[in-house]
Parts: sequence; structure tokens; C-alpha cells
Amino acid sequence: MFYLPPIDILLQIMINGILFGAMYGIAAIGLSLIFGTMQIIFIAQGAMIILAAYGTFWLFHFFSMDPYLSIIVIFPVSVIFGLGLYQVLFRRVARAGKFPSLLIAFGLMVLLENLMSVLFTPNSRGLRTSYTAFGISALGLKISFTRLMAFIMAILATTGVSLFLKKTLIGKAVRAASENLESATLVGITPHKVNMVTFGIGIGLAGLAGVATATTYSFGPYFGFVFSLKAMIALALGGMGSVVGALMGGVLLGVLESYGAFFLTGGWADVISYAAFLLVLMFRPEGLFVRSSGSERP
Amino acid sequence: MKRKTRIGLLILVTALFAAVPLILDSENSYYVYFLFMAFTYIALSQSWNLVAGYTGQISLGLHAFFGLGAYVIAIGWGKEIIGFLDPLGMVLSGLIPAILAVAIGIPLLSKLRGDYFALGTLGLGEILRLIFIQGGALTGGSAGLMLPSSSYTSMLPYYFIALFLAVFATAVTYLMVKSSLGWALISVRDDETAAAANGVNVLKYKVLAFTVGAFMAGLCGSLQAYYLFHVHPQNFFGLNWTLYPILMCVMGGVGSTIGPVIGAVFLSAVFELAKILLPEIHPIFSGVLIVLTIIFLPDGLVRLRWFRNIFEGRKTESPINLKLFTGKEK
Repeated sequence: MFYLPPIDILLQIMINGILFGAMYGIAAIGLSLIFGTMQIIFIAQGAMIILAAYGTFWLFHFFSMDPYLSIIVIFPVSVIFGLGLYQVLFRRVARAGKFPSLLIAFGLMVLLENLMSVLFTPNSRGLRTSYTAFGISALGLKISFTRLMAFIMAILATTGVSLFLKKTLIGKAVRAASENLESATLVGITPHKVNMVTFGIGIGLAGLAGVATATTYSFGPYFGFVFSLKAMIALALGGMGSVVGALMGGVLLGVLESYGAFFLTGGWADVISYAAFLLVLMFRPEGLFVRSSGSERP
Repeated sequence: MKRKTRIGLLILVTALFAAVPLILDSENSYYVYFLFMAFTYIALSQSWNLVAGYTGQISLGLHAFFGLGAYVIAIGWGKEIIGFLDPLGMVLSGLIPAILAVAIGIPLLSKLRGDYFALGTLGLGEILRLIFIQGGALTGGSAGLMLPSSSYTSMLPYYFIALFLAVFATAVTYLMVKSSLGWALISVRDDETAAAANGVNVLKYKVLAFTVGAFMAGLCGSLQAYYLFHVHPQNFFGLNWTLYPILMCVMGGVGSTIGPVIGAVFLSAVFELAKILLPEIHPIFSGVLIVLTIIFLPDGLVRLRWFRNIFEGRKTESPINLKLFTGKEK
């Protein structure tokens, strides 16, 4: 049953996996930021991604706007949507701890999925542009253009978020709040503001991931949940609360999945990624890329 | 109310519901079906209540155990090990999820962080669904397993078993919580470190609550399998089997014995009405309801003042209000 395929096929799978996984990475960074400050897994992230993908789709459909150009609309709208979402839904309950927030995120996911299903019909959609099937051939390997773009977007997003967290005052406040909320509050950081900013960026990144999804896959209203799960797995692999780790976790997951799908079948590939997730949660919850400090990060 | 009055009330309500099929035509009445589903949800909600409400561990994997219980029946019946509405088979369908709960619970719950548990249980449901889809002839793949529906004779046994499950789950939760065990569970929820410092074996009690919860969920799954005669992964490992009980629990009141009962009956009625009146958009409705409930009624119906005055006679603090669910870093 097992045979070793030629090295170029193995490399091709590897590259597909890396490009593929970058998208999980974008989603995971958003999750990681929200997790850092609010201590919840924002389970509706996937639904947000699909919503943004629909946005891209409709912009292309009605205004023939190029998907990559539509980022200039999708990203700001997503950020504003995220800010508003925090103000309307989470602000009231954020104080009461993470349990209500988690459930609200859950409810939001159900709401969005079904809303999209009613508004846009449950049929799956796909974007068809002039370059959808375009690929770059190099060194005997074939690289899909749209996936390469998704990968580049992921790298840019990671760099952008890292710089934001390191260089700007608000970014530093976000980091401080993720580190220790109480001490951050003591030095004058308003938790609500920090939460709101992370929500804005988190949903903004979901917008980016949505554009990347719309250009590479066909999608339907209920695809978001799997996306959330995959982003969560990426987060667990990479270590919660680390931006670069989240991207690397996503890439690792992508590679794992594409090898799994090649050597086994598509269905088992998912089983493998969930199994990896459970094993990491059980035995190395601080993530694979974080040096174990012996004690768990609280 | 005193303890005796409470138990008396439980028996009285049970007797009333047990008498329902005498009045209504159980084969044709929609109400009997409605109550059947409501009872199942009561049992599922109590299962979640025990784990999350009393022990403070947020499980998102109720559907994993529910589906596993259903598949135990489907596979066992197909192999003719288990009969139709076989009590031993149903116990088995609770035990196997319970064993899984121990196996998965020990590593996941030994971590300090509650999130890992929530995520892990969510992943567990997904992994089981995929495994059962890939299971080949044994599990029937994504089409699932058809059971001999000619065994169906009457709605009555289903009704009474569901009633029994609801009473069983409520009674088990009540008895566990009122015993010294309950104090241990609540102490784990309220302050894990302090509980451990006072000699409570934190992991043991977390796993125990999780296991009992899984047992109940498995039982509910087996009853649904007997009722629907078609066990397939999309339905039985569907997220709704986790979502609805959580919602019912929160709506009724997390961490109180009567809360999930009220929440389950109330929300079952709301959902059924929504299904009839708003067939197109009722799933949206449930999403909106979750969000609104958490924002405006996070402590549940049982902690509303007028309700408290009637039922409790004393103030019961809400775990949510007391920030006990914050999972505050220790």
C-alpha cells in the first residue's frame, strides 16, 4: 500500500501544503490576537471568513471588481465590523469572564451561517477569474498563482501584525494586556479598548483570509466551521498567543494535510489533522514552536 | 423549599408527565412527540450542567458522546448483540462514551487551562464524525446505518424511557450536588487552586463529572437511535446536539438543578413554534436567541427575582455573575 513516490512529487505536495496552510495561518493569527486579550477562542472566525468571501464574490459579480483589488474595500469594512461587533455584542459580557463571550461567539457563528444560507442560498460558489487556473512553473514544480498570492498575503499580514504589536503604542498595549491584564490595567490600559482593537484586527484578518478563500476555493455558507477548527488546530500547533507561531502552525497543518491526503484519502487527512490537534493539546499545549519553559503560561 | 418538598415536587411532576399518555393519544399527538424531545434535551442539558455548571469545565463535545452512544446501538443491533430497546444495550451505550470520557478527560483535564478542554472536546466530536464517515461497512460511511424500523410498535416506550432519562439525569445531578461530592465539584469550579490546597483531588472530580455527563449523553443518543432507526454521522454528530443543550442550560440557569429542566422545556417549545411559524429562518432565530440570552439573561430564568421568590426561597448566586467562569489565572 505504501510506496515512495519520486522526490519531485513529494516536493510538489510540500509546496501545495505550504501555500494551502498559509491561509489557515491568516485565520489563526486573528484567533491568536483575540485569544491573547479576551482569552476566548473566537469560534465564529470561520463564519467571518466566509462572509468576507461572499463579499469578495458579490463585488466581483456585480461590480466586476478584481478580488485582489477588493481587499481595499473588504479589509477596512471587516475592521470596522469587528470594532462594532465588540461594542455591540461583547462589551457587556467581557467583564463577566470568558464563558459568556465563548457562547456569544458560538451563537454568532450559528447566526451568520444560517443568515448566509438564507440570503445567499446554500449552494456553493466559486470565483472564476482569468487567472484562477493560472500557474507558475519553476524547477519542474507547478505553483498555483492564487495560492501563491494567498501565501504572500499571509506573510504580509503576519509581518504587519508583528510590526503593529512591536512598534505602535496600541500594539504594545495589546501585548501588555495579553501578558497580564491586571497589571496592564494598573498602568492605565483600558481593557475594552485593547479588546476592541484586537477584535478589529482579528476580523480584519478574517476579511483577508476571506479574499484568499474566495480566490482559491469554492465555498458555501457552512464552510466556516471547518475553517474555525482548522485555524484552531493551527493555533494549537503553533502555540497560543504567538503571531509567527500561528502562521507556522497553519503551514505545518497544511503540509500535514496534503501529505495525509496523498498517502491516505481525503477523509483520513482530516482525521490525522484532528488527531494531531488532540495530541498536541494533551501533551504539548504550549505549542510546538515555543520552547517549553516547564510551567504553563497562565 | 425544603429538601423533602423538592423531592416530593419532582415525584409529583414526574407522575403528572407519566399520566400524559393516558389523556393524549400517544400515537398521533404532536405534544407527546414534543415532550419526548423535551425530555431528551433535559437529560442532555443536565449532562452539560454537571460538567460546566457545577464543575466549571466547559465541554463542547456533548455530540461526540451522544453520537457514540447512538452508534453503539446501531452497530450492536446490526451485529445482533443488542436487541430493540434493550436495557443492557442502552447501559452499554452509556458506558462506552463514559470510557472514552475517562480516556480523553485525564490528559485534557489535567491541564490548568480550561480552554484546552473546550477545544479538545470540540475536536473530539469532529474526529469521531470523520472516523464514523470513514468507517466502511461497520459504520455505513456517510449514509450511516439503517435499523429494522419494523420493530416500531408504539410511541409509548419511547415516551417513558425519555421521561425516565430526564428524571434520572436530574436526580443524579441533584444527588451528586447535594452530597459531599457536590461540594468538591463546586469547590473545583470556584477556585481550583484553593480546592487542591484543601486536599480535593481536582483531576479526579473533573474526570468524574465529565464521565457521568458522557454516560448520560450516550444514553440519550441510544434512545434517539432507537427512535429514528437511521444513525448517520451528520445528524448524530451534529453540533446542534451540543449547542441546544448549552443554550437550554444557560437560558434556564447554569449551576442549578431546576434550571436546565426549565430551559429545556421552554426552548424546546420556542424552537418548535419557530419551526412551525418561521420554517425558513428558524436556525437564524436560534443563533439570535443564544446571543440575546447571554447578553441580557446570562444568569438564567431561575435567577430572575420573581422566579427565585417562588421556587428557591433563598438567594442562589449565579456562577456567571460571580465570575466563576472566568477561569481566572491562578
